[in-house]
Amino acid sequence: MPDTYLVPEVLAATGRAVSTATSYPVSASDIRKWALAVYYPAQPPQYFIDTQYAPEDFDPFAWGPKSHESFLPGDDSGIWHRHGINQRALGFPEWKFIVSMNAGMKVEYGVRMQVGDVITDVKSCGQYTERQGRNGLMLISQSISTWTNQRGELVKRTTNSGISY
Amino acid sequence: MNVNVGDVVPSFVRQTEFANWNRYAAVNDEFVPIHMDDEAGAAAGNGGAFGMGNLQWAYLHNMLRDWMGPNGTILTMEVQFRSINHKNQIVSAKGVVTAVDGDVVTLEVWTEQQEGTKLAPGTATVRIPA
Repeated sequence: MPDTYLVPEVLAATGRAVSTATSYPVSASDIRKWALAVYYPAQPPQYFIDTQYAPEDFDPFAWGPKSHESFLPGDDSGIWHRHGINQRALGFPEWKFIVSMNAGMKVEYGVRMQVGDVITDVKSCGQYTERQGRNGLMLISQSISTWTNQRGELVKRTTNSGISY
Repeated sequence: MNVNVGDVVPSFVRQTEFANWNRYAAVNDEFVPIHMDDEAGAAAGNGGAFGMGNLQWAYLHNMLRDWMGPNGTILTMEVQFRSINHKNQIVSAKGVVTAVDGDVVTLEVWTEQQEGTKLAPGTATVRIPA
């Protein structure tokens, strides 16, 4: 375990855009299946069955994007990171974490997703902090995903927080 | 819809088990061993398979939607994932109004298991047209 995780490469990453991805068009079937899953065993509200719009928590990238691109010069892996960020390509040291977990999330919503929408995700690095816990020094990292639709309207901005030690 | 500070939102309640988790994994591609297999969950130190944080997140949205009706809008939500959702727990998504400013309502929201332990506490703001 290092004395600190906040090395210059980590501190320099905050605010840096790292990748973009574009979804397949949202389908009526996608919306229905999602609503059926999150309301199970009850039926979801009729407006989801009628697919007037998608649940706010619906993820059109769940089963992969139509296309994706990394903005990082060192990222030639071709791998799409749905939630996280390719820290190796940012030059972070290769720490051997025992545990990495989802600590929380914060979302600001814009317009609702509807059938036919094509969503673009731009992912960037948020704040990096560290603190001592029962299991030693922990790295708390944020990634920020900004989704817009084909009209350029904000769909949502999500800040995911992760803890690693 | 008349909303006041202290109003309690009707809970959204589910008994969580593989029937819920498998369906959510199918739509959100969360076929992760710790959520699908008791041995993998136990090996990770959690006694067995456990539920997805994102499904707790979805239950909180369901709770707010069911309360507001189709004209309400969720503006923001923030939660921390504090405790594990174990198999067969009764999980309730709950909320209480903490502020009202015009048509914007702020709530404390959380999920808890049947003994009252909070799993995912947080806050939300919603817009409810008069």
